[in-house]
Amino acid sequence: MREAASTISKPVLPPVDPSEWTSTSMSPVHASAMKAPMQGSRDLSRPMGAIVGFLLPALTIYVAFTAYPVVRTLYNSLQHVRPARSDVYVGLENYIGLWGDEFFWKAVTNTLAWAATAPVFEQMLAILLALALYARIPGARFFRIMWFTPVLMSFVVVGIIWMWIFNYDWGVVNSLLRGVGLDGWARSWLGDPTTALPALIFVTTWMWTGFNMVVLLAALHSLPSEVLEAAELDNCSWMKKLWFVIIPLIRPTIMNLVVLSFVGKMKVFDLVWIMTKGGPLWSTETVSTYVYKRAFEWNTFDLVYPCAIASVWFFIVLAGVLLLSILFRQRGKLEY
Amino acid sequence: MRKANRWGKWIVFAVAAMFVFSATAARAQTVLTLWSHWADHDSKRAFVEGAARTFEKANSGVTVKVSWYEKQALHAALKTALLAGQGPDIFYAEPNQSEYVENNLLYDLSKALNWNNIEPWAKLGWTYKGGVYGLPLEAWTVEMYYNKKMLADLGIKLPAGMQFSQAEFLDVVKKTRAAGITPISLGVGDRDFPGAFLTHEALLKKLGYDDYDKLLHGTLSWSDPRVREALVSVKQVIDAQGLPSSFSTLKLGESHFYFHTKPGSLMFLMGSFYPSRAFNPPDKGGQPPDFQLGLMHYPAVDKGACNECKTITIGGSYVVNASSKNAALAGKFLNSMATPEMGNKWLEDVLVQTGIKADPAKISGPYAGYFRELAQINDKCKFYPERPVGVMTGKAKEVFTQVINNAFPAGLLTVDQVIEKMNAAK
Repeated sequence: MREAASTISKPVLPPVDPSEWTSTSMSPVHASAMKAPMQGSRDLSRPMGAIVGFLLPALTIYVAFTAYPVVRTLYNSLQHVRPARSDVYVGLENYIGLWGDEFFWKAVTNTLAWAATAPVFEQMLAILLALALYARIPGARFFRIMWFTPVLMSFVVVGIIWMWIFNYDWGVVNSLLRGVGLDGWARSWLGDPTTALPALIFVTTWMWTGFNMVVLLAALHSLPSEVLEAAELDNCSWMKKLWFVIIPLIRPTIMNLVVLSFVGKMKVFDLVWIMTKGGPLWSTETVSTYVYKRAFEWNTFDLVYPCAIASVWFFIVLAGVLLLSILFRQRGKLEY
Repeated sequence: MRKANRWGKWIVFAVAAMFVFSATAARAQTVLTLWSHWADHDSKRAFVEGAARTFEKANSGVTVKVSWYEKQALHAALKTALLAGQGPDIFYAEPNQSEYVENNLLYDLSKALNWNNIEPWAKLGWTYKGGVYGLPLEAWTVEMYYNKKMLADLGIKLPAGMQFSQAEFLDVVKKTRAAGITPISLGVGDRDFPGAFLTHEALLKKLGYDDYDKLLHGTLSWSDPRVREALVSVKQVIDAQGLPSSFSTLKLGESHFYFHTKPGSLMFLMGSFYPSRAFNPPDKGGQPPDFQLGLMHYPAVDKGACNECKTITIGGSYVVNASSKNAALAGKFLNSMATPEMGNKWLEDVLVQTGIKADPAKISGPYAGYFRELAQINDKCKFYPERPVGVMTGKAKEVFTQVINNAFPAGLLTVDQVIEKMNAAK
């Protein structure tokens, strides 16, 4: 009995040349020892079951809530969908209708203006603020929190606050202008077609600059001190150091932030809906607000035309992102 | 073995009993589903929930399950659910949502409700191609409220008929503005209709019921000389700074506060749902306790075809889903709300008019006087039963909202530009 037990606990293993071991595999001794009790239960060289098991939940959610809606939107845009009746294929009819839709083009113009300007303002301001914090200005900790706070607010809160700030009678902006004797400049900022869109762009810039600043600050802190010290040894002025050393080094971060901001502005909805609903006279209409209006505010059951707008816009946003990626592509990789 | 057999029989018996019991219970318990706006309107919720509980008591085995939504969320949920052939048995709708009827999604309530208990104009509002499709629970008229004390302080006297002429009204506006007071409180910061009151009431009075109806349905041109004259009269009020400078951003709730509290305006052109906000305590946005609220008619327009005409709007109503398996029962539930007692209860509790026949004389409480005054001023009015945004759909509705509700009263457009844009949107 005692002898049998010792036979089980010490299996006889064939001699193995250690040179046959690979970096990724365990020693044959361990492998065979491991394999013995697991044989017949699981083949680790074919981990498909595990892969599927881990991927399936995420994949199911992705397919159900992202891929399927996208495909369905594209499909719907080619149909005429009516309640309790079968769909009718109409081909490109909805897309052709877009060409003559003056509201759509107004919305496109406004959205493109927003997406072209706001990311630039945000990055320029964010770089300045990040540099100020990087240079450890007095009260840097306080300012970092202050400048970042707007990002933490919801669009609803931000929209309401800024509607008050822009109020003609008692808003802060007009009160300040009147206070310094510029009464003639006081105006209904959100009620005037010439100022409504710039006012909204200003609000999104105020809201998102803090986020960009924090990301850029992290990028600045990760810069190698030797490179900056070398620039100083070469008597590089502050501006030259910024322009020729710092900005090129943080360029990938800036590019990613620009792309993120661009995509965000191309989809902007909440702030417009709360503050102006696209008015006055469509001066702040964006593609997203127009899609929503066409789908749910026009008292029709036409959900396919909005699908066509959404499909077109999806490809335009995609093209915009690709274009930006090409424009910002770095010819030679900087090394440090 | 014998023992096992006995146990087996008991198990089979128990399973069979459970099956029969659950099947019976399922048959006895009918659930009526109702999706409704008014998630944040306590008094309306209490009214509907109360009606549901009463109906359940009177009909054993029936449960009315109400889901409360905000209006926008409800509209979006309904559109997608109905499009997919689903949806509740009963849902909230307004007569302007003609898309429901046009797509055969509503159950005809012609025979389900006792229409003798419904106001004729309210029935008319829900009548479509011979069918009647909604229980008109909420209704409101466009009223010109005013501050009695302020009017007296300005030395202005209201004519006996409670209606200024066009010229008199313009003088009132100018005199009020000269005194540093905003003549009419109005704002479109969060709504697509209040700014249009000023214009569409003038158009209705000028054109009369039939031609106004044609104008809204696109069969009468906005270039019609009478339309132009009405627009010019409104433009004079706008140019005389009749509205607040913050008109574009002033929200509905804020415009109430603007009128009765701060800074205070002489008049307030608003739906008669005014009390639902203003009769709250002052710390909840209500008017001051000593506020002297008055009601006058919208001014008469020169050569008006119907100066006694007024817009009445049927607001929140309940309709029955045409594809509901419980459509008849749902109709029975709605009929339980269509009684004069329920009409009075609505007036007393909700403080807003209703399409159900009610008797303001029987209303008691602190606001009984207000409802009698409201009934008196509307006594000889002829009602047009919908707002323009309720009649119009698609592009016409969008342009009307942007132009007549917003840009024109904000002083951004001339009369010619308004005519051009409205004609182009037909």
